[in-house]
Order: sequence, then C-alpha cells, then structure tokens
Amino acid sequence: MPFDPTTLDGPFTALAAFEWGGDAAPLGVIDAAVVAAHGDAALTADLEKRLGSVISGATSRAAKDYACRKLSMIGTAASVPVLVPLLTDPDESHMARFALERIPAAAAADALRQALGTVRGDLVIGMISSLANRRDAASVKPLAALLGGDATTAAAAASALGRIATADAAAALAAAKIQPGPVADAVIDARLACADAFLAAGNRGSAQAIYESIAARIGDTPTTHRDRVVRIAAQSGILACLDDTVAL
Amino acid sequence: MPINPSPSRRGFLKASAATTAAVAMPYVITSKALGDAVTPPASDRIVMAGIGLGNMGSGDQQAFLARPDVQYVAVCDVRKKWRDESKARVDEKYGSTDCAALVDFREVLGRDDIDAVHIATPDHWHSIMTIAACRAGKDIYLQKPETLTLREGPLMIQAARRYGRVVSGGSQRVLEDYRPLVDPCWAGELGTITSIDLSVGPRSMACYLPAVATPPEIDWDLWLGPAPWEPYNPGRCDGNFGTGGNSWRSYVDYSGGSLTDWGAHHFGGTIFAAGLLHLQPTTVTWHPASADGTVAAYITLVYPNGVEIHCNRPATLRPTDAKAVVAQADRGITIRGDGTAVAPVPVPAYRGTGGIYGDFIECVKTRERPFRDLELGVNTMTAPHLVAIAQRLERSLEWDRAAQRFMNDEEANRLLDRARREPWTL
Repeated sequence: MPFDPTTLDGPFTALAAFEWGGDAAPLGVIDAAVVAAHGDAALTADLEKRLGSVISGATSRAAKDYACRKLSMIGTAASVPVLVPLLTDPDESHMARFALERIPAAAAADALRQALGTVRGDLVIGMISSLANRRDAASVKPLAALLGGDATTAAAAASALGRIATADAAAALAAAKIQPGPVADAVIDARLACADAFLAAGNRGSAQAIYESIAARIGDTPTTHRDRVVRIAAQSGILACLDDTVAL
Repeated sequence: MPINPSPSRRGFLKASAATTAAVAMPYVITSKALGDAVTPPASDRIVMAGIGLGNMGSGDQQAFLARPDVQYVAVCDVRKKWRDESKARVDEKYGSTDCAALVDFREVLGRDDIDAVHIATPDHWHSIMTIAACRAGKDIYLQKPETLTLREGPLMIQAARRYGRVVSGGSQRVLEDYRPLVDPCWAGELGTITSIDLSVGPRSMACYLPAVATPPEIDWDLWLGPAPWEPYNPGRCDGNFGTGGNSWRSYVDYSGGSLTDWGAHHFGGTIFAAGLLHLQPTTVTWHPASADGTVAAYITLVYPNGVEIHCNRPATLRPTDAKAVVAQADRGITIRGDGTAVAPVPVPAYRGTGGIYGDFIECVKTRERPFRDLELGVNTMTAPHLVAIAQRLERSLEWDRAAQRFMNDEEANRLLDRARREPWTL
C-alpha cells in the first residue's frame, strides 16, 4: 500500500521539538516511512527534504541525531550541503558523518575529503575514519599529507591508507619518514594491510616486496614484543608469497 | 582510533616498570614464582588481563583466575565498581595488591608483560579492541557476540591471522548446551541436514532514554567510545542480560539485541550442529506477515549447500513430513534431515582442561586455533546480522560472501557498518 506523505506532517512537527526522553511514538511513523520509501522516488525525496529541514533548523541535538540516522539510510547527494555545516561542530560532526559515510554519492566523499582541511582536532580523525571506511582512493594524497602531522592524526591517516590499500597508498606509506613510536607502528600495520590486500588479489610481487622490507627493518633479533609480532606477520607473508600451493 | 598507546602512556608504563625494578632491589625469587606440583613456574604461566569486567567479564575473570597456569595481573573497566571488585578478586587470590586497575584499555595493551586478554565489554567495542590487541601481540578470549556489524568481522579475522594471534569467541554453550542437537547430527542419525527451524529474539532498538546526571564512577565518554554521543542513563549502559529496554543489550548503538546476544548461542549451537560453521548464508528471504495479521513475518536463510534456516517460522507453516527426522532441543530448535545414510563424524572437543577457557589457554600455549576460533564466531554472527538487516528493510536480500556485500541492494549495503565516533577508527 503506498505511503501517504500527509501522515508525516505531525511526526515531523514532533521530531522538530524532540528531546531525549520525549515521546518517541511519532518517530516510529517516520521509521516506517523510510522503509516504505524503497523504490519510491517521490517519497524518498519528500523524506530527504523534511529530514534536511530538521538538520538545518533550530532543533535539538536529539532531533538532529535522529535525522542524520535516517539520512544515512536514504540520503542522496542532495543531502550533502545540509550535512556539511555540521562537520565542523564538535557536537554534530559524528552524526553528520554517520549519514555522509553511508551516502554513496561522490559528493559525500568529496565533502569528507574537503573537511580534512577545515575541521580541527579529533574531528579530523573522524573524517579520516569515514574516508577509510569508504575506501576512498581519491583520498590517498591528502591522507599521505597527514602522515607528517601530529601523532594521533598521523596514526589514523596511516591506518586509513592501509584500509584503502591501493598501490598509491602503499607507496605513500613506504615513503613516510617516521621516527620509531606509535606512528611508525601504525605505518607498519598499514603496510602489512596493503601487502595482505595485494596478496589476496594475486599480486604476489608487490606483497612480497613489502613483507621483505618490513622483515629487513625488524631484523633477525627483534628486541620488543611488538617487533616479534611484526616479524611473525612479515615472515608469514613472505612464506605465503613463496607458496604456490596457497590459493589466492 | 589512536590504536597504539600514546607516547605518554607507553613512556609512563616503561618508567613505572623501571622505577619499580630499581626500588625492589635486591630481587628475591619467591616460591610462588618457582611453582609447585599444582602451579607451573611463573615463566610457564600465561599472563592475563581483563577488559570489561561487569557481568560476563567477572565470570570470565573468575574462570581464568582459577587456573594455575594463568597469572592475572591487570583489570580494566570504565566503571569503578567493576574495577574495584575485579581487582579485589585478583588480590585476594594472590594475597597481594599487585593487580593493576586501569580505566583505558590502551594501557593494558601497552604492557609487554601481558600475553593474553579477555574482553567482555559491550559489543560496540569488540572490533576496535580486538584489532588493537592483535596489533599489540595479545591473544584474545572475546565474549560473544564477536561483532556488531558485518564489516567488522573480516577486519578482525585479518588482524588475528596477520599477527598470528589466538582469538577465541566466548560462546561456551555452542558445544555444551546444544549437545542434544550436536550429537545426533554429527552421528549421521538425521541423514543429510535439509532445514532448521529456529526461534530467535528481537533485534535491538533505538534508544531515546532521557539524560540523567552522570555518576562519577563511570567514564561515560570512554564507555560510549565509538558509539554516537548520547546522554548518560543507567538504562542505556547497565550490563544486565535483559533486552527489553533496561540494558545496553537492548540498544542498536551497542548491541544487536536478543537476536545477536542470545542469538550468538542459539545460532551458534544450531550452525555447529548442522555443520554450517564454515559457511555464510547466500540468500535471506523476508516473508511478510499475512494481510489479516494471523501469520507473523519470518526470515529464511539459505546456505550454499542448500540448508535452510527458518527464523521464527510460524508453526502452521512448518513441514509435517513423516519421513523427516527431527532433533528437538528444548530451546525452540528443530533440525530436519532426509534420513539418508551419512557416515558419522567425530564431534570436535575442547583442548586442554577447563571447558572453553581451558581450550583457549591450551591454544595460547600450542598456537593452535581454538574450538571457537574467531572466524567461526564471525561466520555464525553473520546469520543474525543478515536477519536484522532484512527485518529492518522488510525485504529479501542476496549476500555475496566473497565481496562481503549485498547484491543489487545499495540501501542494504549502507547497513554493513556505521561511522565511528572520533577519535575511534577500525
């Protein structure tokens, strides 16, 4: 049965005034509408517009939280301009990403990438995290630039490059000049992730080169537990590369 | 996430260790360190710590603490109550005050003297902590359900395999409670398994609880971690086993609800009994409720070998074929076979002694994969996660295991994972 959009007026009025602890029954109507919008372009567009108004309006954090969750399910490129202003707000940035990370449109990735240069502190790590989850290959260059930043950001950027795991990402990680410490550990983890991805894709040569590079860096007599673990990873990788019986 | 301990934390730990060593001179080797007929020498004990020591965590801790081949050195919980109680258990056991009581799990993972950790936090922390622990070279006993989202599982398995870690899931019931199902299935008494009916609980729900003043005994920001910020309310974070709205197991940001929590046992035992533990479903069929409301909605999962798992299929729709062989447990599970001749297969057993905990410890020593290896747990949890997404979208889905994506359903693929709150990342 087609969903009657006029039944949404009351629930959206309630949502605009919603606070945690308030009556959640009207939200259930919106929940149902979001499910019913599958394959219904008009209802989707109507819902997207209404949810965008909640986000842009003078509404509570709870209301915006709810709207972002729903846009994460049905949002399109049209929602990106509505969500972008929230990215710089420490209270709202995560929920804006909650939506943007899931919106498949290229505009959503573009917005997250551009925000790398406009947000501050931990919010940068949020952008990095979402770009990593999207495995956004276009982000390799800006992420590589963050490898020279503060330790927490650099470690997150390294991890993201390991998740993206393209040849460019692996090259950026290999080129990183990092002093021993947490960031260097994150770079090694990410390089191993790239090697594992290459091996899984049948690119034994590229994988083996990374494993051997890391093994050489650790040497035959690792001095710390962490180095011993990394050596296990690198040596296991080398063996897998050399073993033609391993199905890739 | 800053997965590695910050330089200051690591430096602090090293400095503390150095200071302690200097002050403690001259070093005395105690009789406890040397071991005896029951207790192995310290060098042969597995040094452990616990992360998340509320309900299930305290049970896990006591199981490990009771083992003579475990030396328990640290507890970690964002709640003072659980921290204090769990430290007291360790100190009482060893007659000392040496057990470290920590708030931040990164301090545990930064200690080189710790071989293994058990993790029993709410589910939204499982993947981040497991991957970080693998990178730090720890073996892990991870409470079920192992995952909160579909994307997490493969990343956790990759980390475990990459660093050669032993990672055991924490569902002891799979082998123990479901034995009445397991034995006839593995003995071939049912023939080739064809279909299963399984009663499962509801998935988790959104949480709209009101704000309550945050008590000083909890680090609320760290409790939330990667989950969306929402105000403190005891009903949001209580660790009781209810899923009706008064515990974290009720809510979607922290748990999959009864569907995955009890479901980890229920699906786990069923999938193990039916020999599906290395497989993942290929199709998820949504059967809507009848228009007149007399027949409830249900879900059917189909595995690559053709076995069907019907979740909450109404009794009126279940087959009554007299030729079918039925194993009926007391937990709402019916497994049907075709009655053909099938050779019996020995049921896998735990290694070592002491149930699933002993199995984990034995594997830490031998580097074998444990009975409830992480990959088997992830495969199991894939089933209820697929059910939850089909229920939420109210439509049928096709699952591509190799790609770990839904086929031809972009909206379903949005639900593979969720953005984590900064600064936490996978």
